[in-house]
Amino acid sequence: MRHPLARRDRLTSLAFVVPALILFFVFVAYPIVYNFQASTLDWDGATAGTFVGLGNFVALAHDPVFTKTLLNSALWIPLTIVPQALIGLGLALMLNQPLRGRGVYRALLFLPTVLSPVVVGIVWAQILDPNSGTLAAIAEQTGLTFLKFSYLGDPKTAIFAVMVVNIWMYTGFSLLFYLAGLQLIEPSLLEAAKLDGANFWQRTTRVTFPLLRNTHLTLLLLGIIGSLKTFELLYVLTSGGPYHASEMLPTYAFKQAFQLHSIGYASAISVALLVIAIGSSLLMTRVFGAGFITGEER
Amino acid sequence: MRLRKSFMIAGAGVAATSLLAACAGGAATSATTTDGSAGGDTVTFRGWAPIDPALSGMIDAFESANPGTTIDATVMGGPDYWVDLAARVSSNTMSDIVGLMPGAQTQQYRDYLMPLNECAASQWGDDWEDKFYPIALDQARLGNPDGDDNFYGLPVLTQIMNIWANTEIMDETGAEIPQTWADLEAVTPTYEGNGFTPFLLGAKQYWLNTSIYLELANNINPGLVYEAEDGTVPWTDPDLVKAFEYWQKLFTDGIAQEGANALEPYPDAVGMFEAGDALFLPLGSQWIQQSDPTADQSTIADLSKGMNGYEPFLFPTIPGGADSPQYVGGAEFLFGISKNSQNPELACQVLTDWIAGAGGQVLINTLFDLPAVKGLEPQVFTSDKQEEIFNELANEWLPQVQYSRYFKDPAIETAVSDALAAVATGSMTPQEAAESVQEVYDGL
Repeated sequence: MRHPLARRDRLTSLAFVVPALILFFVFVAYPIVYNFQASTLDWDGATAGTFVGLGNFVALAHDPVFTKTLLNSALWIPLTIVPQALIGLGLALMLNQPLRGRGVYRALLFLPTVLSPVVVGIVWAQILDPNSGTLAAIAEQTGLTFLKFSYLGDPKTAIFAVMVVNIWMYTGFSLLFYLAGLQLIEPSLLEAAKLDGANFWQRTTRVTFPLLRNTHLTLLLLGIIGSLKTFELLYVLTSGGPYHASEMLPTYAFKQAFQLHSIGYASAISVALLVIAIGSSLLMTRVFGAGFITGEER
Repeated sequence: MRLRKSFMIAGAGVAATSLLAACAGGAATSATTTDGSAGGDTVTFRGWAPIDPALSGMIDAFESANPGTTIDATVMGGPDYWVDLAARVSSNTMSDIVGLMPGAQTQQYRDYLMPLNECAASQWGDDWEDKFYPIALDQARLGNPDGDDNFYGLPVLTQIMNIWANTEIMDETGAEIPQTWADLEAVTPTYEGNGFTPFLLGAKQYWLNTSIYLELANNINPGLVYEAEDGTVPWTDPDLVKAFEYWQKLFTDGIAQEGANALEPYPDAVGMFEAGDALFLPLGSQWIQQSDPTADQSTIADLSKGMNGYEPFLFPTIPGGADSPQYVGGAEFLFGISKNSQNPELACQVLTDWIAGAGGQVLINTLFDLPAVKGLEPQVFTSDKQEEIFNELANEWLPQVQYSRYFKDPAIETAVSDALAAVATGSMTPQEAAESVQEVYDGL
């Protein structure tokens, strides 16, 4: 026999949850299900669609551009997340020391993260322009001719050039997380290590680095999801080109939807993106435990 | 027990969401009213062009001549507008008047657009088609199904693809307009290292690349590319492969500047050209807009004032091709009316006024672009040079335009665009590029 008060409590609790649930279903669950349904159609978004079952996914499996986007994502994830984390950690370690003007440095280093990716893209396109850009001007003054190269226009370098801009932009994000993580480390641990004769490098690699495990994992998870969603910077800097050399899943989905009016196919790409994002998140929580998200020890 | 209950709740949630999502893939309904159409004495307009001050002037012109009427207009950037239009069609909230691109886009929304034949006849008379330049009107029906003679959009402005020269640099250096491919090939080696880019190509955007390909293909074998589009000749025809070869030569033979693939035509390339940093700029006749007599002249670049620093010319001839350059162009954009407009008569009045009435006159006076209708020309020129260029474009070139600057099908357009990017970056040979387009055509 349940206590009537407990039942009332449950109803009250439910009443608090319902608004969030409604928002979740309307703005998260509904678009996802809608997207799944659209991915089974040959549909231009305006006229009536034709059910093609898994046809769009079969086409995706044979689409070399889709394969290219997956390869680019596979490159993008480690080549942006690792440098961002390493540089961010290095800067955080420096800015965690008593340093004059520390707040100003922190703000300046975090500034690129809060800028619009579109603005960043436009500015960097100008910097990298091999004819009238900043790097070209430096090349002419210094004789460093490699700077006067069309990094965004060459299919071999385009995606790496965008990655450099991405790292420049989001390192401040890693810096912020690591600074927060460093504040949580008990100073006595580092003191004890110092008394035991550990030098700065040893304290950093053997005490600080392992204790920042949750921060590393959180940045990794956010980095993977962020990488899969990368759109604005790519779109402004290369539009996924030249010849799909820097194409990623979101830019390809956008082109299919709004240039080719293939909403069904674009939805299939979005479903693939969703599956990869959820799959990688679940894999991470499975391998590392959910503690880095919930804050609990594993 | 608790687990089963959780599954039931989750299942109910998914079922409810699935029901909610049941409308994916449905055609937008043909309701009698729409949220986007205002009704009463108000007409709504959404598009990406024309921008202010031209649009405000057009609205003022109509509202002054038709007291009590209101035009509620929203203009946004092109990419934003394509998304906006698609969403509005799907949600049945189209504005009364919409901006459209000829060909694929107009065809995609054909079922939601009002045929304009009656509207045009009611405002301009039965012989209304004679008012328009033929190429502009042809392109308004580009991609219509066989037997469908309706106009779902009417052309507002026209465009001719061409190259612009900086005459100040020409005067300083003695450079001449290249008439042939050999002349063009000689330009960059001759003038490189003089502080300006000899041939400034903004090849990041597909529309300019496909337009140049059409100029090349038509200069090699006039009209053949459209036969390939219709399937009567293969895309691997030697002359179409040759067009890819000459496109490739722009990059491999050093005609286009380093980094052309990463340069946007707008605003990058045009900004450099207007700043005097380039000798030649492949673009289109719309460059004449740079000299706006209604704008504060102190805000206009020196070269653009009165078009004094520019000279238009057509893409040079190709060895073994046509004897003279071919005219490639067509409608720049169209206006259409939503089938669900609550005020189709007023929308028709606005549309026809903006094309050939007082609004159209304001548009031409402000933009200096080429009209779609004959006889409309700017009332005031900022210089004799501007008048001379306008007359050359409107009276000599435009009547000769035979070849479209658009493809009918977006899939072919994208295939050609991809193939051009691949050729430019050395990822494909011209033959492979042509085969890749044929493969897409075969799959349609």
